[in-house]
Amino acid sequence: MKKTLYIFQKGRLRRKDNSLLFEGEETGKKFIPVEDTNDLYLFGEVDISKSSMEFLSQKEICVHYFNQYYGYYMGTFYPREHLNSGHVILKQAEHYIDYEKRVDLARQIIFGSISQMTQVLNYYKNRIVSGADEITAVIDDFKKQLENLDQAKEIEELMAEEGHAREKYYSLFDYIIQNKDFPFEKRTKRPPLNRLNALISFGNSLCYTIVLSETYKTYLDPRIGFLHSTNFRRFSLNLDVAEIFKPIIVDRLIFSLLNRKQLNKKHFDKHTNAILLSEEGRKIFIRELDERLKQTKKHRGLGRNVSNRRLIRLELYKIQKHLLEEKEYKPYKAQW
Amino acid sequence: MAVTATHIWYYFICKREVWLLSRGIAADQEDENLDLGRFIDRNTYQKNKKEIVAGNIKVDRVRKEGEEVVVGEVKKSSRFKESSRYQLLFYLDSLRQMGIEARGELLFPQEKKREKVEWTEEKKKELDKVVEDIRKIAKKPVPPAPKKINFCKKCAYREYCWAEG
Repeated sequence: MKKTLYIFQKGRLRRKDNSLLFEGEETGKKFIPVEDTNDLYLFGEVDISKSSMEFLSQKEICVHYFNQYYGYYMGTFYPREHLNSGHVILKQAEHYIDYEKRVDLARQIIFGSISQMTQVLNYYKNRIVSGADEITAVIDDFKKQLENLDQAKEIEELMAEEGHAREKYYSLFDYIIQNKDFPFEKRTKRPPLNRLNALISFGNSLCYTIVLSETYKTYLDPRIGFLHSTNFRRFSLNLDVAEIFKPIIVDRLIFSLLNRKQLNKKHFDKHTNAILLSEEGRKIFIRELDERLKQTKKHRGLGRNVSNRRLIRLELYKIQKHLLEEKEYKPYKAQW
Repeated sequence: MAVTATHIWYYFICKREVWLLSRGIAADQEDENLDLGRFIDRNTYQKNKKEIVAGNIKVDRVRKEGEEVVVGEVKKSSRFKESSRYQLLFYLDSLRQMGIEARGELLFPQEKKREKVEWTEEKKKELDKVVEDIRKIAKKPVPPAPKKINFCKKCAYREYCWAEG
Protein backbone atom coordinates (compact mmCIF):
# COMPACT_ATOMS: atom_id res chain seq x y z
CA MET A 1 0.00 0.00 0.00
CA LYS A 2 1.14 3.52 -0.80
CA LYS A 3 2.59 5.63 1.98
CA THR A 4 1.67 8.87 3.62
CA LEU A 5 4.44 11.44 3.80
CA TYR A 6 4.70 14.00 6.60
CA ILE A 7 6.90 17.07 6.32
CA PHE A 8 7.68 18.94 9.52
CA GLN A 9 10.64 21.01 8.53
CA LYS A 10 10.92 24.22 6.59
CA GLY A 11 11.79 23.86 2.96
CA ARG A 12 10.87 23.99 -0.66
CA LEU A 13 9.02 21.50 -2.80
CA ARG A 14 9.58 21.57 -6.51
CA ARG A 15 9.35 19.41 -9.56
CA LYS A 16 12.55 17.90 -10.80
CA ASP A 17 12.23 16.09 -14.11
CA ASN A 18 9.76 13.31 -13.48
CA SER A 19 9.90 13.46 -9.73
CA LEU A 20 9.40 15.76 -6.79
CA LEU A 21 12.30 17.18 -4.87
CA PHE A 22 12.06 18.46 -1.34
CA GLU A 23 14.84 20.78 -0.28
CA GLY A 24 14.71 20.82 3.48
CA GLU A 25 16.56 23.34 5.59
CA GLU A 26 17.61 20.65 8.02
CA THR A 27 18.07 17.52 5.96
CA GLY A 28 18.91 18.84 2.53
CA LYS A 29 17.64 17.49 -0.77
CA LYS A 30 15.41 14.49 -0.84
CA PHE A 31 13.35 12.96 -3.64
CA ILE A 32 9.73 12.06 -2.98
CA PRO A 33 8.78 8.68 -4.46
CA VAL A 34 5.57 9.88 -6.14
CA GLU A 35 4.45 6.49 -7.40
CA ASP A 36 4.49 5.20 -3.86
CA THR A 37 2.96 8.23 -2.14
CA ASN A 38 -0.69 8.26 -1.18
CA ASP A 39 -0.92 11.74 0.30
CA LEU A 40 1.21 14.49 1.75
CA TYR A 41 0.97 16.34 5.07
CA LEU A 42 2.69 19.69 5.36
CA PHE A 43 3.25 20.81 8.93
CA GLY A 44 6.35 22.84 8.29
CA GLU A 45 6.68 26.05 6.33
CA VAL A 46 6.90 24.62 2.84
CA ASP A 47 7.13 26.68 -0.33
CA ILE A 48 5.45 24.73 -3.03
CA SER A 49 5.82 25.57 -6.70
CA LYS A 50 2.98 25.51 -9.21
CA SER A 51 4.72 22.90 -11.31
CA SER A 52 4.97 20.63 -8.29
CA MET A 53 1.25 21.07 -7.66
CA GLU A 54 0.56 20.17 -11.27
CA PHE A 55 2.64 17.09 -10.80
CA LEU A 56 0.90 16.16 -7.54
CA SER A 57 -2.42 16.54 -9.29
CA GLN A 58 -1.29 14.35 -12.14
CA LYS A 59 -0.15 11.72 -9.66
CA GLU A 60 -3.45 12.05 -7.77
CA ILE A 61 -1.88 13.00 -4.45
CA CYS A 62 -3.86 15.08 -1.92
CA VAL A 63 -1.89 17.63 0.11
CA HIS A 64 -3.10 18.49 3.61
CA TYR A 65 -1.88 21.77 5.08
CA PHE A 66 -1.45 22.41 8.76
CA ASN A 67 -0.37 25.61 10.41
CA GLN A 68 3.21 25.29 11.51
CA TYR A 69 2.93 27.25 14.72
CA TYR A 70 -0.38 25.96 16.07
CA GLY A 71 -0.80 22.73 14.14
CA TYR A 72 -4.32 23.73 13.09
CA TYR A 73 -5.71 22.17 9.94
CA MET A 74 -5.78 24.78 7.21
CA GLY A 75 -7.04 23.00 4.15
CA THR A 76 -6.44 20.41 1.50
CA PHE A 77 -5.19 20.64 -2.03
CA TYR A 78 -7.71 18.19 -3.45
CA PRO A 79 -6.58 17.56 -7.03
CA ARG A 80 -9.00 17.47 -9.92
CA GLU A 81 -11.35 14.52 -9.60
CA HIS A 82 -10.02 11.65 -11.64
CA LEU A 83 -12.75 9.18 -10.80
CA ASN A 84 -16.02 10.29 -12.26
CA SER A 85 -19.26 8.49 -12.76
CA GLY A 86 -22.37 10.51 -13.59
CA HIS A 87 -24.52 7.78 -12.16
CA VAL A 88 -22.82 7.77 -8.75
CA ILE A 89 -22.90 11.54 -8.34
CA LEU A 90 -26.58 11.73 -9.29
CA LYS A 91 -27.43 8.99 -6.80
CA GLN A 92 -25.43 10.75 -4.09
CA ALA A 93 -27.29 14.00 -4.74
CA GLU A 94 -30.60 12.14 -4.80
CA HIS A 95 -29.90 10.72 -1.35
CA TYR A 96 -29.24 14.20 -0.07
CA ILE A 97 -32.25 15.88 -1.64
CA ASP A 98 -34.71 13.13 -0.67
CA TYR A 99 -34.97 13.99 3.03
CA GLU A 100 -36.11 10.55 4.11
CA LYS A 101 -33.19 8.91 2.34
CA ARG A 102 -30.85 11.45 3.87
CA VAL A 103 -32.19 10.82 7.40
CA ASP A 104 -31.82 7.06 6.89
CA LEU A 105 -28.14 7.40 6.07
CA ALA A 106 -27.54 9.94 8.82
CA ARG A 107 -29.18 7.53 11.26
CA GLN A 108 -26.83 4.74 10.24
CA ILE A 109 -23.85 7.03 10.75
CA ILE A 110 -25.00 7.99 14.25
CA PHE A 111 -25.70 4.34 14.94
CA GLY A 112 -22.14 3.55 13.90
CA SER A 113 -20.71 6.37 15.95
CA ILE A 114 -22.46 5.37 19.18
CA SER A 115 -21.70 1.68 18.58
CA GLN A 116 -18.02 2.46 18.20
CA MET A 117 -18.00 4.50 21.40
CA THR A 118 -19.60 1.48 23.06
CA GLN A 119 -16.82 -0.73 21.72
CA VAL A 120 -14.17 1.56 23.19
CA LEU A 121 -15.92 1.57 26.57
CA ASN A 122 -16.27 -2.21 26.49
CA TYR A 123 -12.56 -2.50 25.86
CA TYR A 124 -11.62 -0.34 28.84
CA LYS A 125 -14.34 -1.51 31.22
CA ASN A 126 -12.23 -4.36 32.58
CA ARG A 127 -8.89 -2.68 32.25
CA ILE A 128 -9.37 0.30 34.55
CA VAL A 129 -8.78 0.73 38.26
CA SER A 130 -12.05 2.48 39.06
CA GLY A 131 -15.17 3.56 37.26
CA ALA A 132 -16.32 0.19 35.92
CA ASP A 133 -19.82 0.79 37.27
CA GLU A 134 -20.02 4.23 35.68
CA ILE A 135 -18.87 2.79 32.36
CA THR A 136 -21.38 -0.06 32.55
CA ALA A 137 -24.14 2.47 33.20
CA VAL A 138 -23.22 4.47 30.11
CA ILE A 139 -22.98 1.32 28.00
CA ASP A 140 -26.54 0.50 29.09
CA ASP A 141 -27.65 4.02 28.24
CA PHE A 142 -26.10 3.69 24.80
CA LYS A 143 -27.95 0.46 24.22
CA LYS A 144 -31.28 2.19 24.89
CA GLN A 145 -30.24 5.15 22.78
CA LEU A 146 -29.42 2.90 19.85
CA GLU A 147 -32.81 1.23 20.11
CA ASN A 148 -34.53 4.61 20.08
CA LEU A 149 -32.67 5.96 17.06
CA ASP A 150 -35.33 4.56 14.72
CA GLN A 151 -37.79 7.08 16.08
CA ALA A 152 -35.70 10.08 15.08
CA LYS A 153 -37.20 11.65 11.96
CA GLU A 154 -35.03 14.75 11.72
CA ILE A 155 -31.32 15.29 11.23
CA GLU A 156 -31.31 17.67 14.22
CA GLU A 157 -32.68 14.95 16.52
CA LEU A 158 -29.94 12.61 15.38
CA MET A 159 -27.30 15.28 15.92
CA ALA A 160 -28.67 15.83 19.42
CA GLU A 161 -28.57 12.09 20.17
CA GLU A 162 -24.96 12.01 19.11
CA GLY A 163 -24.19 15.06 21.20
CA HIS A 164 -25.69 13.49 24.34
CA ALA A 165 -23.84 10.25 23.75
CA ARG A 166 -20.56 12.02 23.25
CA GLU A 167 -21.03 14.03 26.44
CA LYS A 168 -21.57 10.85 28.48
CA TYR A 169 -18.67 9.21 26.71
CA TYR A 170 -16.29 12.08 27.42
CA SER A 171 -17.34 12.11 31.06
CA LEU A 172 -15.68 8.69 31.38
CA PHE A 173 -12.31 9.76 30.00
CA ASP A 174 -10.96 10.56 33.47
CA TYR A 175 -11.50 6.92 34.51
CA ILE A 176 -9.76 5.63 31.41
CA ILE A 177 -6.82 8.03 31.52
CA GLN A 178 -6.28 8.42 35.28
CA ASN A 179 -3.62 11.05 34.91
CA LYS A 180 -3.83 14.32 36.85
CA ASP A 181 -2.07 16.14 34.05
CA PHE A 182 -4.83 15.26 31.61
CA PRO A 183 -8.24 15.97 33.12
CA PHE A 184 -11.10 16.12 30.69
CA GLU A 185 -13.00 19.03 32.38
CA LYS A 186 -15.12 19.89 29.37
CA ARG A 187 -14.90 19.73 25.62
CA THR A 188 -13.39 22.92 24.23
CA LYS A 189 -12.56 23.47 20.61
CA ARG A 190 -11.24 26.44 18.67
CA PRO A 191 -9.23 26.87 20.82
CA PRO A 192 -8.79 23.83 23.02
CA LEU A 193 -8.31 25.00 26.59
CA ASN A 194 -6.57 22.02 28.09
CA ARG A 195 -4.15 19.31 27.03
CA LEU A 196 -6.66 16.53 26.51
CA ASN A 197 -8.83 18.79 24.38
CA ALA A 198 -5.78 19.73 22.35
CA LEU A 199 -5.17 16.04 21.68
CA ILE A 200 -8.79 15.35 20.73
CA SER A 201 -8.89 18.32 18.37
CA PHE A 202 -5.63 17.45 16.69
CA GLY A 203 -6.57 13.79 16.36
CA ASN A 204 -10.01 14.55 14.96
CA SER A 205 -8.66 16.97 12.38
CA LEU A 206 -6.24 14.28 11.23
CA CYS A 207 -9.05 11.76 11.06
CA TYR A 208 -11.03 14.09 8.77
CA THR A 209 -8.09 14.39 6.38
CA ILE A 210 -7.47 10.64 6.32
CA VAL A 211 -11.10 10.01 5.36
CA LEU A 212 -10.83 12.80 2.79
CA SER A 213 -7.78 11.21 1.19
CA GLU A 214 -9.64 7.91 0.99
CA THR A 215 -12.74 9.60 -0.45
CA TYR A 216 -10.56 10.95 -3.24
CA LYS A 217 -9.93 7.35 -4.28
CA THR A 218 -13.64 6.68 -4.71
CA TYR A 219 -16.42 8.01 -6.92
CA LEU A 220 -18.08 9.83 -4.04
CA ASP A 221 -18.12 13.62 -3.87
CA PRO A 222 -16.75 14.75 -0.50
CA ARG A 223 -18.87 17.92 -0.67
CA ILE A 224 -22.13 16.02 -0.23
CA GLY A 225 -22.46 14.70 3.29
CA PHE A 226 -25.64 13.37 4.84
CA LEU A 227 -25.42 14.00 8.55
CA HIS A 228 -23.39 17.18 8.12
CA SER A 229 -25.23 19.44 5.77
CA THR A 230 -23.78 20.45 2.50
CA ASN A 231 -22.95 23.97 1.58
CA PHE A 232 -20.79 23.03 -1.38
CA ARG A 233 -17.91 25.12 -0.15
CA ARG A 234 -16.39 22.65 2.22
CA PHE A 235 -16.06 18.94 2.54
CA SER A 236 -18.63 17.19 4.65
CA LEU A 237 -18.88 13.52 3.66
CA ASN A 238 -15.52 12.95 5.33
CA LEU A 239 -16.88 14.43 8.57
CA ASP A 240 -19.77 11.93 8.41
CA VAL A 241 -17.59 8.88 7.93
CA ALA A 242 -15.03 10.09 10.48
CA GLU A 243 -17.74 9.84 13.17
CA ILE A 244 -17.44 6.07 12.90
CA PHE A 245 -13.65 5.99 13.07
CA LYS A 246 -12.87 8.72 15.60
CA PRO A 247 -13.56 6.53 18.64
CA ILE A 248 -11.51 3.55 17.53
CA ILE A 249 -8.68 5.37 15.81
CA VAL A 250 -8.27 8.73 17.54
CA ASP A 251 -9.60 8.10 21.04
CA ARG A 252 -7.94 4.72 21.43
CA LEU A 253 -4.67 6.27 20.28
CA ILE A 254 -4.94 9.10 22.80
CA PHE A 255 -5.58 6.65 25.64
CA SER A 256 -2.66 4.49 24.70
CA LEU A 257 -0.28 7.44 24.23
CA LEU A 258 -1.17 8.80 27.66
CA ASN A 259 -1.35 5.51 29.51
CA ARG A 260 1.99 4.42 28.12
CA LYS A 261 3.37 7.87 29.00
CA GLN A 262 4.54 8.46 25.45
CA LEU A 263 3.08 11.94 25.76
CA ASN A 264 3.29 14.11 28.87
CA LYS A 265 3.01 17.71 30.03
CA LYS A 266 6.23 18.62 28.28
CA HIS A 267 4.67 18.01 24.88
CA PHE A 268 2.24 20.89 25.17
CA ASP A 269 2.70 24.62 24.71
CA LYS A 270 0.64 27.30 26.34
CA HIS A 271 -0.35 30.07 23.99
CA THR A 272 -2.17 33.26 24.92
CA ASN A 273 -5.58 31.63 24.84
CA ALA A 274 -5.01 28.03 23.94
CA ILE A 275 -3.11 24.93 24.92
CA LEU A 276 -1.68 23.05 21.99
CA LEU A 277 0.45 20.07 21.22
CA SER A 278 4.06 21.03 20.61
CA GLU A 279 5.85 20.10 17.42
CA GLU A 280 7.57 17.23 19.21
CA GLY A 281 4.19 16.08 20.51
CA ARG A 282 2.68 16.26 17.04
CA LYS A 283 5.48 14.11 15.68
CA ILE A 284 4.91 11.43 18.30
CA PHE A 285 1.16 11.54 17.75
CA ILE A 286 1.50 11.19 13.99
CA ARG A 287 4.09 8.44 14.15
CA GLU A 288 1.82 6.33 16.33
CA LEU A 289 -1.27 7.19 14.31
CA ASP A 290 0.44 6.13 11.10
CA GLU A 291 1.47 2.89 12.79
CA ARG A 292 -2.10 2.26 13.88
CA LEU A 293 -3.46 2.87 10.38
CA LYS A 294 -1.08 0.29 8.97
CA GLN A 295 -2.08 -2.41 11.43
CA THR A 296 -4.08 -5.14 9.78
CA LYS A 297 -6.92 -7.36 10.88
CA LYS A 298 -8.72 -10.22 9.25
CA HIS A 299 -11.80 -8.99 7.40
CA ARG A 300 -14.65 -11.46 7.35
CA GLY A 301 -16.34 -10.26 4.17
CA LEU A 302 -13.11 -10.27 2.17
CA GLY A 303 -11.56 -13.25 3.88
CA ARG A 304 -8.16 -11.64 4.19
CA ASN A 305 -6.22 -9.07 6.16
CA VAL A 306 -6.93 -5.39 5.66
CA SER A 307 -5.32 -2.37 7.29
CA ASN A 308 -7.22 0.09 9.43
CA ARG A 309 -6.78 2.69 6.69
CA ARG A 310 -8.30 0.28 4.20
CA LEU A 311 -11.30 -0.19 6.47
CA ILE A 312 -12.11 3.46 5.88
CA ARG A 313 -12.05 2.94 2.13
CA LEU A 314 -14.28 -0.11 2.49
CA GLU A 315 -16.72 1.99 4.51
CA LEU A 316 -16.90 4.46 1.63
CA TYR A 317 -17.48 1.61 -0.80
CA LYS A 318 -20.35 0.45 1.40
CA ILE A 319 -21.87 3.92 1.30
CA GLN A 320 -21.53 3.98 -2.48
CA LYS A 321 -23.30 0.62 -2.68
CA HIS A 322 -26.08 2.04 -0.53
CA LEU A 323 -26.40 5.03 -2.86
CA LEU A 324 -26.58 2.74 -5.89
CA GLU A 325 -29.36 0.92 -4.03
CA GLU A 326 -27.64 -2.40 -4.20
CA LYS A 327 -27.01 -2.98 -0.53
CA GLU A 328 -28.26 -1.17 2.53
CA TYR A 329 -25.47 0.51 4.46
CA LYS A 330 -24.61 -0.95 7.85
CA PRO A 331 -21.78 0.82 9.63
CA TYR A 332 -18.58 -0.93 10.53
CA LYS A 333 -18.48 -2.43 13.99
CA ALA A 334 -15.17 -3.26 15.55
CA GLN A 335 -15.08 -6.84 16.74
CA TRP A 336 -12.71 -6.70 19.66
CA MET B 1 -24.55 3.00 -25.14
CA ALA B 2 -21.58 1.96 -27.25
CA VAL B 3 -20.79 -1.67 -26.53
CA THR B 4 -17.05 -2.32 -26.58
CA ALA B 5 -14.84 -5.38 -26.61
CA THR B 6 -14.27 -4.93 -22.88
CA HIS B 7 -17.99 -5.36 -22.24
CA ILE B 8 -18.01 -8.49 -24.41
CA TRP B 9 -15.03 -9.88 -22.55
CA TYR B 10 -16.59 -9.43 -19.12
CA TYR B 11 -20.05 -10.53 -20.24
CA PHE B 12 -18.93 -14.14 -20.06
CA ILE B 13 -17.14 -13.68 -16.76
CA CYS B 14 -19.17 -11.31 -14.58
CA LYS B 15 -22.37 -9.49 -15.54
CA ARG B 16 -22.01 -7.20 -12.55
CA GLU B 17 -18.71 -5.95 -13.88
CA VAL B 18 -20.42 -5.19 -17.21
CA TRP B 19 -22.93 -3.02 -15.36
CA LEU B 20 -20.26 -1.20 -13.33
CA LEU B 21 -18.20 -0.52 -16.46
CA SER B 22 -21.26 0.71 -18.31
CA ARG B 23 -21.84 3.28 -15.55
CA GLY B 24 -18.28 4.50 -15.68
CA ILE B 25 -17.33 2.89 -12.38
CA ALA B 26 -13.80 1.56 -12.83
CA ALA B 27 -12.07 -0.93 -10.58
CA ASP B 28 -9.52 0.08 -7.97
CA GLN B 29 -6.69 1.44 -10.09
CA GLU B 30 -4.13 0.77 -7.39
CA ASP B 31 -4.87 -2.94 -7.35
CA GLU B 32 -1.65 -4.90 -7.64
CA ASN B 33 -2.98 -7.18 -10.37
CA LEU B 34 -3.93 -4.20 -12.50
CA ASP B 35 -0.47 -2.79 -11.94
CA LEU B 36 1.05 -6.07 -12.99
CA GLY B 37 -1.10 -6.19 -16.11
CA ARG B 38 -0.04 -2.69 -17.11
CA PHE B 39 3.57 -3.63 -16.56
CA ILE B 40 3.27 -6.75 -18.72
CA ASP B 41 1.56 -4.76 -21.46
CA ARG B 42 4.28 -2.12 -21.44
CA ASN B 43 7.20 -4.51 -21.31
CA THR B 44 6.37 -7.50 -23.47
CA TYR B 45 6.39 -7.90 -27.23
CA GLN B 46 8.21 -4.57 -27.37
CA LYS B 47 9.75 -5.38 -30.71
CA ASN B 48 6.82 -6.75 -32.61
CA LYS B 49 3.94 -4.91 -31.05
CA LYS B 50 1.58 -4.32 -33.93
CA GLU B 51 -1.46 -2.93 -32.24
CA ILE B 52 -3.88 -1.38 -34.68
CA VAL B 53 -6.68 0.95 -33.74
CA ALA B 54 -9.72 1.16 -35.97
CA GLY B 55 -12.82 2.96 -34.79
CA ASN B 56 -13.38 1.79 -31.23
CA ILE B 57 -11.53 -1.47 -31.54
CA LYS B 58 -7.89 -2.19 -30.92
CA VAL B 59 -6.47 -5.41 -32.29
CA ASP B 60 -3.19 -6.95 -31.18
CA ARG B 61 -1.81 -7.87 -34.58
CA VAL B 62 -2.80 -8.01 -38.23
CA ARG B 63 -1.12 -9.83 -41.09
CA LYS B 64 -1.92 -10.72 -44.64
CA GLU B 65 -1.95 -14.27 -45.87
CA GLY B 66 -2.28 -14.01 -49.63
CA GLU B 67 -5.52 -12.13 -50.09
CA GLU B 68 -6.71 -12.87 -46.58
CA VAL B 69 -6.48 -10.49 -43.63
CA VAL B 70 -5.72 -12.32 -40.38
CA VAL B 71 -6.40 -10.64 -37.07
CA GLY B 72 -4.50 -12.07 -34.12
CA GLU B 73 -5.51 -11.66 -30.49
CA VAL B 74 -2.87 -12.52 -27.92
CA LYS B 75 -3.98 -13.92 -24.58
CA LYS B 76 -2.07 -14.87 -21.50
CA SER B 77 -3.99 -18.10 -21.09
CA SER B 78 -6.91 -19.98 -22.55
CA ARG B 79 -8.70 -19.77 -19.23
CA PHE B 80 -11.41 -17.48 -20.54
CA LYS B 81 -11.74 -19.00 -23.96
CA GLU B 82 -15.36 -18.13 -24.49
CA SER B 83 -14.72 -14.49 -23.66
CA SER B 84 -11.73 -14.48 -25.98
CA ARG B 85 -13.67 -16.03 -28.86
CA TYR B 86 -16.49 -13.55 -28.69
CA GLN B 87 -14.14 -10.65 -28.26
CA LEU B 88 -12.35 -11.62 -31.46
CA LEU B 89 -15.65 -12.24 -33.20
CA PHE B 90 -16.65 -8.72 -32.19
CA TYR B 91 -13.47 -7.38 -33.83
CA LEU B 92 -14.12 -9.36 -36.99
CA ASP B 93 -17.68 -8.08 -37.11
CA SER B 94 -16.60 -4.47 -36.54
CA LEU B 95 -14.04 -4.77 -39.33
CA ARG B 96 -16.69 -6.27 -41.58
CA GLN B 97 -18.89 -3.26 -41.01
CA MET B 98 -15.97 -1.14 -42.20
CA GLY B 99 -15.78 -3.28 -45.32
CA ILE B 100 -12.88 -5.47 -44.28
CA GLU B 101 -13.33 -9.20 -44.37
CA ALA B 102 -10.96 -10.89 -42.00
CA ARG B 103 -10.29 -14.18 -40.31
CA GLY B 104 -9.29 -14.42 -36.67
CA GLU B 105 -6.72 -16.23 -34.64
CA LEU B 106 -6.49 -16.54 -30.89
CA LEU B 107 -2.88 -16.83 -29.76
CA PHE B 108 -1.79 -18.37 -26.49
CA PRO B 109 1.99 -18.05 -26.72
CA GLN B 110 2.64 -19.41 -23.24
CA GLU B 111 0.62 -22.52 -24.01
CA LYS B 112 1.98 -22.77 -27.55
CA LYS B 113 -1.55 -22.95 -28.87
CA ARG B 114 -3.57 -21.11 -31.45
CA GLU B 115 -7.20 -21.29 -32.41
CA LYS B 116 -9.10 -20.15 -35.45
CA VAL B 117 -12.13 -17.94 -35.14
CA GLU B 118 -14.29 -17.29 -38.15
CA TRP B 119 -17.15 -14.92 -38.79
CA THR B 120 -20.30 -16.77 -39.90
CA GLU B 121 -23.93 -15.69 -40.16
CA GLU B 122 -24.76 -17.98 -37.31
CA LYS B 123 -22.10 -16.67 -34.97
CA LYS B 124 -23.02 -13.13 -35.89
CA LYS B 125 -26.54 -13.83 -34.63
CA GLU B 126 -25.14 -15.06 -31.34
CA LEU B 127 -22.92 -11.99 -31.05
CA ASP B 128 -25.91 -9.74 -31.65
CA LYS B 129 -27.75 -11.48 -28.84
CA VAL B 130 -24.82 -10.86 -26.51
CA VAL B 131 -24.63 -7.20 -27.48
CA GLU B 132 -28.32 -6.79 -26.92
CA ASP B 133 -28.07 -8.46 -23.52
CA ILE B 134 -25.20 -6.16 -22.55
CA ARG B 135 -27.41 -3.18 -23.39
CA LYS B 136 -30.13 -4.68 -21.21
CA ILE B 137 -27.74 -5.12 -18.29
CA ALA B 138 -26.50 -1.56 -18.65
CA LYS B 139 -30.07 -0.25 -18.53
CA LYS B 140 -30.83 -1.92 -15.21
CA PRO B 141 -31.22 0.74 -12.51
CA VAL B 142 -29.43 -1.40 -9.92
CA PRO B 143 -26.29 -3.49 -10.53
CA PRO B 144 -26.57 -7.29 -10.51
CA ALA B 145 -25.65 -8.59 -7.04
CA PRO B 146 -22.10 -9.91 -6.62
CA LYS B 147 -21.63 -13.64 -6.96
CA LYS B 148 -18.56 -15.28 -5.55
CA ILE B 149 -16.73 -16.90 -8.46
CA ASN B 150 -13.15 -17.92 -8.98
CA PHE B 151 -12.47 -14.69 -10.84
CA CYS B 152 -13.22 -12.63 -7.70
CA LYS B 153 -9.93 -13.66 -6.14
CA LYS B 154 -7.89 -11.52 -8.47
CA CYS B 155 -10.49 -9.03 -9.56
CA ALA B 156 -9.76 -5.36 -8.87
CA TYR B 157 -13.43 -4.85 -7.92
CA ARG B 158 -13.26 -7.45 -5.16
CA GLU B 159 -12.99 -4.97 -2.31
CA TYR B 160 -15.86 -2.97 -3.69
CA CYS B 161 -18.06 -6.02 -4.20
CA TRP B 162 -17.29 -7.70 -0.91
CA ALA B 163 -16.94 -4.74 1.43
CA GLU B 164 -19.38 -5.37 4.24
CA GLY B 165 -19.50 -5.83 7.97
